[in-house]
Amino acid sequence: MSSHAKPGPIPEPVGEVLGQSVPKPDAREKVTGRAVYTDDLRVPGMLHGALLGSPHPHARILSYDTSRARALPGVRAVLTAEDLPPNDIGAVIKDQPLLARGKVRYAGEPVAAVAAVDLPTARRALELIDIRYEVLPAVFDAEEALRPDAPGIHAPRGTAHPNAASYIRLVEGEPDPAWAQCDVIIEDVYETPAQQHIYLEPCSTLAEVDPDSGKITLHTSTQTAFRVQAITAEALGVPMSRVRVLVPRVGGAFGGKVESTNQPITAALALAAGAPVRLTFSRTDDIRMMRSRHAARIHMRTGATRDGRILARQVRIHFDTGAYADDGPFVANIGSYFARGPYRIPHVDVECWCVYTNKLRAGAFRGFGNPQIHFASEVQVDRVAEAIGMDPIELRLRNALETGEKWLGGAPVESGTLRACLERAREVSDWHRRRERPPAAPGKRRGIGVAAVSHVSGLLGSSATVRLNEDGTVTVNTGAVDTGQGSDVALAQVAAGALGLSLEQLNFSRPDTDTSPYDWCSGGTRTTFTVGRVITQACEQVREQLFEHASAILQRPVRQLELRPGGFVGVRGEPGASVSFGAIAGRALYVEGGPIIASARYLFPAWQLDTRRTQVEGLPFMGNGFFVFAAQVAEVEVDELTGHVEVLEAWSVHDVGRAINPAATEGQVQGGFVQGLGYALTEELVWKDGHLVNPTMGGYKVPGVLDVPAAIHAVLLEHPFGPGPFGAKGIGEVGLVGVAPAICNAIRHATGANVRRIPATGERVLRALMAREEGGAKASDA
Amino acid sequence: MRYAEPETVEAALSALSTHEDARCLAGGASLVAMMNAGRIGPGMLVSLHRIPELSTITETGDGLWLGAMCTHRTVAADARLRGAMAAVREAAAWLAHPAIRNMATLGGSVGLADPHTEIPVALVAASARVEVAGPGSRRVVPVESLFVDSYRTSLQRGELVTRVFLPRGEDGAVGHHLRFSRVAADYPTVSISLVLAMDGDRCRQVRVVVGSCGPVPLHVDAADQRLVGTRLEAEDVAEAGGLLARAAAPIDDVRGSAEYRRMLIPRLLGRALSQARERAHV
Repeated sequence: MSSHAKPGPIPEPVGEVLGQSVPKPDAREKVTGRAVYTDDLRVPGMLHGALLGSPHPHARILSYDTSRARALPGVRAVLTAEDLPPNDIGAVIKDQPLLARGKVRYAGEPVAAVAAVDLPTARRALELIDIRYEVLPAVFDAEEALRPDAPGIHAPRGTAHPNAASYIRLVEGEPDPAWAQCDVIIEDVYETPAQQHIYLEPCSTLAEVDPDSGKITLHTSTQTAFRVQAITAEALGVPMSRVRVLVPRVGGAFGGKVESTNQPITAALALAAGAPVRLTFSRTDDIRMMRSRHAARIHMRTGATRDGRILARQVRIHFDTGAYADDGPFVANIGSYFARGPYRIPHVDVECWCVYTNKLRAGAFRGFGNPQIHFASEVQVDRVAEAIGMDPIELRLRNALETGEKWLGGAPVESGTLRACLERAREVSDWHRRRERPPAAPGKRRGIGVAAVSHVSGLLGSSATVRLNEDGTVTVNTGAVDTGQGSDVALAQVAAGALGLSLEQLNFSRPDTDTSPYDWCSGGTRTTFTVGRVITQACEQVREQLFEHASAILQRPVRQLELRPGGFVGVRGEPGASVSFGAIAGRALYVEGGPIIASARYLFPAWQLDTRRTQVEGLPFMGNGFFVFAAQVAEVEVDELTGHVEVLEAWSVHDVGRAINPAATEGQVQGGFVQGLGYALTEELVWKDGHLVNPTMGGYKVPGVLDVPAAIHAVLLEHPFGPGPFGAKGIGEVGLVGVAPAICNAIRHATGANVRRIPATGERVLRALMAREEGGAKASDA
Repeated sequence: MRYAEPETVEAALSALSTHEDARCLAGGASLVAMMNAGRIGPGMLVSLHRIPELSTITETGDGLWLGAMCTHRTVAADARLRGAMAAVREAAAWLAHPAIRNMATLGGSVGLADPHTEIPVALVAASARVEVAGPGSRRVVPVESLFVDSYRTSLQRGELVTRVFLPRGEDGAVGHHLRFSRVAADYPTVSISLVLAMDGDRCRQVRVVVGSCGPVPLHVDAADQRLVGTRLEAEDVAEAGGLLARAAAPIDDVRGSAEYRRMLIPRLLGRALSQARERAHV
């Protein structure tokens, strides 16, 4: 981005800790079962909460009768919307009550809450709540929801259609005349499913209220202590000074815990009951009451010349955001922003709708709109390559954006390493040999496919405090939540590298809104990137303070001083001349200067879209956007009899800038690949008449250990650049983004079947195979 | 809810008779999950895990008696389950995942009669017989006579499954179980269990059973007969598979449409037969 156009030289870390694959501090306790999650917490007098879900996808609430539930022995509180402040929440559009008010908008939507002495009593009480409904017509498809006669889900807000939560249009060049210059034009409709996060730990909150001050303390599984604090305060109409949020260990999140989950309603129950309340969702309630990835339908047309220049693209995207906007409009922003792909396509026309339907809300999920558009774009680019008879990697290389070129909307690509990723992927996967289709097992067909991948890291604000302890060790405070991805160890390594300390000399604290400096959220591929940056900034200030003291102690000017591993300031070129951090701390605390402490803050700059270059409607600026690149390759075998797809081996090549902890980074890449494999092949929430058919782990299938390739090669390229710590770039989401198109391109390479809808279940692939055998290539679509 | 842990079959039968709504607790893999989900709420549980008789395995000249409380893991690991009996061992080896195979039992699978899982399919293919203990008597019945509908058996109130007999089968007979599922640990979309005996390149005897395609394991005599005496050529398999597909009553669910399941039956039959044949030649 322009505001960090002067990145300056990337500093080198002090000591050996940064770049080492040191174990995560929480690894041992998780493996042995000692780790304490929210549901493991119990306090005296604690009650158990449970929520009643709506039986209808769309209905007016006529009346409540909670008297029978209230009369049940052991019940301490029963809440409906009538008992709550009328404050709707929502990151973009405040459209969502804590409990349905006036009407229900999806089946499973919480309509009532109970706190009772134990969970069975709470659940029995839910059954005793009588609610009368008037069923309303409902709509379950995003495009149908935009028809003039579609039932309105929310009160009109002045948008073109009341069910449009947002609309975006981005036009560059002159798409209409450009089509005439194209030698090949490929057009298809792509469909992607509502994927569920399936974090191992369902959403859980323990709420306590101090009877004297009224202060609410929440222990909760979340990606963001500070947003939970803000949303809970807003929803309940209390000041943030009366809400404290702490985060025990978190069992995964993947975007599902970026906004509030069940914290506000649990706090409301604790207030009503006058006792602590813990509410942990069952897996089924978690699936049907929380959020999913946006299902999308994408009409895409791409035109290219015979020599492999992609000239024009038209895209129409419908994101189904379900009954509430949640992060939907932001997801739609990212989806639109990536619709051109990481390619220089001069003529582009993108339209994108984020649409309300009477289904579970969709929100943030690893990739945030980008996996959907990458699926369409990367499958279509492969078909262009096929149509002009060019190797798919070669076509991508010819069109890949390089450093200094502009993204759709005009933002500069500052570190354009897609070419390096693609070339490395071609090499490590032995692409050309495998492309020759080595013999498959009997009854199987083998193929290999690629996707070029781009994502953004960095978003919003972070802060950190670093202070020197009396013995020369250092305490680092941030608000960052480690959801299991490993940011605690990576951020400690950043501090270690900035000050030349060992991990034993560092105390890295966990988030607590009473004491931690602000951090927006562990989302948006930003934690190591953005929080790491503020840690290095604060460490730099601490270094300056250390050097002032060392200069006085060692009688040398500051410019001759250096940090030495292990917590020493030394004189350059004089190995014997040094002073320990401990000695400096003693001087600062007791002799002169006062405690050594520093804080730093950073707001990732938003990019104003360049309206001279791009016609823009609905997307004036992008909040996140340091571009990161990857190339993903998958080799598959397709079972001719069943259509079942097995991924045999995978290569995921990422420019990570600098690998702060290589093993943890590889883990992120491999985890992203597995979650992407589920998205590609098996994972899909299914509704029938507005009711979820598979809200269980038995019905909704994530890949298990036998379903993923033994070898997912994570290849880390290090091109340090940009505002992250020591030139590190984000890696949290990008590992998922290109997996589905790489796999589907491999399926087409193996069989000729053009998979346009994921998950590519055995049934869908078999139908495409059969159609191809019966009708030739034209009818080979799935 | 009442709970009992009898130490003999007779004591278990007596405990079962004391309560209208008593259920046997074997491995608990399905029963406890159903209770946790609120799908059932038995008035009494009679745990069978303290009854030594139910965990014994006895080899006879004709085959093997497996106690009802043998876990799938035990069945999968028993090398004596060779020849025709291997169908059951293979079904047990890949069913669900290790945590469930460590808990779930042979007798529990018979009593549950879940049409989507595989032990019943393999037992029917292997011509298993089941010993049922009731008040005052024990009887041995063909396993298929127990499966009357989805999750329904012909067991009477107060009866329990004590052991299962797997016949060794004809000389040279091989059993094979083929499962097809969305992911490895899922319930099968379709499973095929069969026992095959060849005379040279001709099929001497075969018994094919299809799972997950109807309320009970699907066995069609005419399909077996269509294969007997043939060289198991593509046309023979297609016709036998067609007979099975037409007799099947699959449902649409998240694992696949009924139509897909019908398509898979002849396809997977061919694969199962050729895999079994390779084994028969070894």
